[in-house]
Amino acid sequence: MSEPATTPTPAFLWRPRGAWEGIAKIGGHGASADAPGIRLTLREGQGLATIVAADGREADLRAILAERFGLSVPEAGATAFDGERGLVWSAPGQWLAVSPTRQGFDALPAALQGVAAVTDQSDGRALVRVSGPKARTLLAKGVAIDLHPRAFGPGRAAVTSIAHIGVQFWQRDAGPTYDIAVARSFAGSFWGWLEHAAAEFGYEVA
Amino acid sequence: MTTLALQRAEPLGSASTAQAFRTAQGGLIERRRTLDFTFDGKRLTGCHGDTLASALLANGVRLVGRSFKYHRPRGILTAGSEEPNALVELRSGARREPNTRATMAELYEGLEAASQNRWPSLAVDALSVNALLAPVFAAGFYYKTFMWPASLWEKLYEPMIRRAAGLGRAADAPDPDIYDRAHAHCDVLVIGGGPAGLSAALAAGRSGARVILVDEDFVTGGRLLAERREIGGESGAAWAARAVAELQSLPEVRILSRTTLFGVYDHGSYGAVERVSDHVAVPAAHAPRQRLWRIVAKRAVLAAGALERPHVFGGNDRPGVMLAGAVRTYLNRYGVLPGRRVAVFTSSDDGWRTVADVLAAGGTVPAVIDTRASVPPQLRRMAEAAGARVVVGGYVAGTKGHLGLTAIQVVDGYDSTETIACDCLAMANGWNPVVHLDSHLSRRPVWNEAIHAFVPGPLPSGMRAVGAAAGLFSLSGCLESGARAGAEAATDCGFAASAEPAPATDPESEGHIPLWRVPRPKGKAFADFQNDVAATDVELAHREGFRAVELLKRYTTLGMATDQGKTSNLAGLSIMAELTGQSIPSVGTTVFRPPFTPVAIGAFAGHHRGKDFRATRYVPSHAWAEENGGVFVETGLWLRPAYFPKAGETDWLETVVREVETVRARVGVCDVTTLGKIDIQGRDALAFIERVCANPFATLPVGKARYAVLLREDGFVLDDGTIARLAETHYVMTASTANAAKVMQHLEFCRQWLWPELDVQLASVSEQWAQYAVAGPRARDTLRRVIDPGFDIGNEAFPFLACADVTVGGGIPARLFRISFSGELAYELAVPAAYGDAAWRALMQAGLPYGITAYGSEALSVMRIEKGHAAGAEINGQTTARDLGLGGMLAKKKDYVGRLMKERPALTDPDRPMLVGFRPVEPGARLRAGAHFLALGAAPSLEADEGVMTSVAYSPSLKSWIGIGLIRRGPERHGERVRAYDPVRDADVEVEICSPVFVDPKEEKLRV
Repeated sequence: MSEPATTPTPAFLWRPRGAWEGIAKIGGHGASADAPGIRLTLREGQGLATIVAADGREADLRAILAERFGLSVPEAGATAFDGERGLVWSAPGQWLAVSPTRQGFDALPAALQGVAAVTDQSDGRALVRVSGPKARTLLAKGVAIDLHPRAFGPGRAAVTSIAHIGVQFWQRDAGPTYDIAVARSFAGSFWGWLEHAAAEFGYEVA
Repeated sequence: MTTLALQRAEPLGSASTAQAFRTAQGGLIERRRTLDFTFDGKRLTGCHGDTLASALLANGVRLVGRSFKYHRPRGILTAGSEEPNALVELRSGARREPNTRATMAELYEGLEAASQNRWPSLAVDALSVNALLAPVFAAGFYYKTFMWPASLWEKLYEPMIRRAAGLGRAADAPDPDIYDRAHAHCDVLVIGGGPAGLSAALAAGRSGARVILVDEDFVTGGRLLAERREIGGESGAAWAARAVAELQSLPEVRILSRTTLFGVYDHGSYGAVERVSDHVAVPAAHAPRQRLWRIVAKRAVLAAGALERPHVFGGNDRPGVMLAGAVRTYLNRYGVLPGRRVAVFTSSDDGWRTVADVLAAGGTVPAVIDTRASVPPQLRRMAEAAGARVVVGGYVAGTKGHLGLTAIQVVDGYDSTETIACDCLAMANGWNPVVHLDSHLSRRPVWNEAIHAFVPGPLPSGMRAVGAAAGLFSLSGCLESGARAGAEAATDCGFAASAEPAPATDPESEGHIPLWRVPRPKGKAFADFQNDVAATDVELAHREGFRAVELLKRYTTLGMATDQGKTSNLAGLSIMAELTGQSIPSVGTTVFRPPFTPVAIGAFAGHHRGKDFRATRYVPSHAWAEENGGVFVETGLWLRPAYFPKAGETDWLETVVREVETVRARVGVCDVTTLGKIDIQGRDALAFIERVCANPFATLPVGKARYAVLLREDGFVLDDGTIARLAETHYVMTASTANAAKVMQHLEFCRQWLWPELDVQLASVSEQWAQYAVAGPRARDTLRRVIDPGFDIGNEAFPFLACADVTVGGGIPARLFRISFSGELAYELAVPAAYGDAAWRALMQAGLPYGITAYGSEALSVMRIEKGHAAGAEINGQTTARDLGLGGMLAKKKDYVGRLMKERPALTDPDRPMLVGFRPVEPGARLRAGAHFLALGAAPSLEADEGVMTSVAYSPSLKSWIGIGLIRRGPERHGERVRAYDPVRDADVEVEICSPVFVDPKEEKLRV
């Protein structure tokens, strides 16, 4: 059987589409545009991976992550970050690895062979960073978790839901600054909630 | 004087007497900040700090509405959220809001209010003839009057009653405002901002505990704002203002004013609604109208206060008859005289406070009637010194006045009657603690004989009741109990809190002997104002046997509607107790349920309106589909392209036929990202898959995929999909769109609970990968132009059911599976979701030379029916693998979930309906899913039912409607004819049973 000549499609077509593309609009929105209460930073191009420890291999996992990657493994409900690179607890024996670049964890699967299952989730989640003077108030509209500094501070993480949409979020600093991860297909609906909830404070999208 | 009073009794004061009833000074209103508003179109003026009710009274407006059933003139009874009468329509157009209590509506510039339930006007209401028909409209009239003929109920009786009896009108247009929701957490929640609540909040807040004080008013202070009292030498209102200022200075204390705590729920959670923008005409840009709060508190202090009780006497609903506490509120807080001549009808010492307050505000008190046999002499002396006629041991039997009170008929202790002119009557019959909230968790209040009132019974866990809400009516009792409970609650939460000694208060006397109804009323004596339930209606219910409180409520409507009987329940109960010779506690109360006061449905909905009613999930090719005119369908949360009409195509079927024909003849691409994708890794991954799947996988080599069927524990089919072996201990499984989450949950249950000893790691990768089916004879040619050079996807290197890691677009990792749902040569290409949009465009471009089409879920469905593949309509939770024709593939030599249970006799009954195909005997006849199968000539009956048509489609390949369905012993009956009977859509089609595989039964197209 004769095959037609293969003509690869032009490379310009292969542009990655950000999870917030066509959804979030850069700029100031809502009330008090001159002094927004909320700053939303769209996080694109990050590397994300789910790490699930193999049966009985958590100690090895900790050792390898520490030695080879300089990462420590956080306790339940916590994060362990070195700058923008770190692990977020997701479930017993499971963590979300976060890296500023998509290639950040390319070496992980091989290094953790037999010790943990690693699955790339870089495109599976949409990430947004929430900061600004009203950040805590805004998030409290969505989550039923107590965000008071006495109960939830920097380095804490939770898996919960906002507006009936599953989210994972963690606090980065005392500002407070939060990172929220939401499943990619829900990004549009999640953003709809975020705009609704942030409008009264004024928000800036960057 | 009488003449003047009569003039003021007109429903609307003339403009020349603007705020004629405003006192010279005093009150918490800002007299210089006047606000213009309208009532029934008439322009009036009030002050900042007024409610609509106080502003109406300041303008001499006493007639505010018409009653529910009899259209009797009604005025303002209370000064709070318990108001049963003064319900108005607030605002206009899309913001029109019915049944707003004028006593709760904060006045703002430009406020528009209208009376409701009147026609043609408030003063001349044609339907007040209902009052003449009172015998017809008595309790139970719904049940008795319109019994026959029943066919007239919907057409005549109900519309007639709805016009005659009712409340306000909802807006016709969608609500333009936004509603918000929020969560709050605290150590101590204080419910109520009166003296008890403020004391509790101070005691708890000073310890550093996180405190939330919820208060429904727009000024915090409760009755301290309404009474002329002293605390520690300063006025109660000044003390309250200082307390609020201190609370505001404490960083961990939050005061939620204009917020009603409407419900108490399990585990220390509470519902509250904050009226963020109800006090302005239009919310500020982006500001919510209302905010629904869910508050979680470790401890709660219930300081919700008490509600005053009306007396039950003739004409007690006439505008001008008010609760004494409300009269004092209007006098002291709003600087309004509810009347010039205010008579007092009391059964308690505190009613007498009204005398001094009226005098201080410049009014006169023509009479004080106390129902008790004796009253403290100092009270009597004070009233007589002011010129009041004092009647002890008497009562008010009736009232006079057309649209407002002009006189009362007083019966003294010797049964002689006299008429006393007045334009306002203040009634004081004791107070009922607000026991609603503490009763929400199915708890019942208990009767306290000492105060003649129900008080909280066993309290919800973590809740303390204080002040008037606990039956402690004295100001000193409120301050003391509040501070103590606040300190205890904070201590419970681990804070070092102590109650400081309560400041001294001015002396007060609390004597009280209630009179549940007057002995011989003149005219209708109402127990429930809002529902027009008179004492005689309770008597009627008693006579007709509806004596239990629940029956009394339903038969008479006592305690129903928007006020839920806040001012009326005890009146009704006490009359029933008297009639049945029981005590009030043995008659009991009906159950209090949330919400405490009505909450707009919009507040509950919040953001979830319109398209945000629930979340929508978008597929990676969505942008392209939108650009190219795709028509979408909601499947679960997903919005999927259903089909892609081209110019000139006139209906969906034409489009779908074209898409199917193109796929079968050339090539098509379909977004199947919605399938669940589960990554399975670990040493024991294969063992795990063997146990969860009913067909064998031990022989599946790396680089191959296989159809998978999963059973439930009970032997029925859970779902089907494919499992591909990517590496020795690495698999990826697909699940159907509808069951994606359920299958993941099932696998996690199996892993965590059934076989924790297996080393298996699961991860959902549904969102990570965009996945596209590329199907049709030119599918390979198309893919060759998308997949990077160097990957051999020829038929030999990459045969049917092969899978491999490939790259696209110059090194982007991708996965290729040679699997087919359409029956054609087909692949599924998975790329990281960020490249989903690019990959789709690349495929469409690559397929151009071959005439590629995008196809949607409709064409997908047509082709799977042509191939007889079971989907959601067949895998419906009631079918076994054998029913679906999958029995042959089930493993014989391994154990798996559902293996034993699927062998139950009923599941292996040879008579069970099984999957086959159907085609109409008459060419062109339309088939309908849902039709039931009957033997030819059999009369339709349950017994004759042989099965059901589960899916149908117009098959472009066969140029005929086809169907698949489940029919008794189907596979044995190919060639037999039956009826497909569908009485719902009036269809009865003769069909022939055939193989469910209509296209390419030898599966030659798959493997080329």
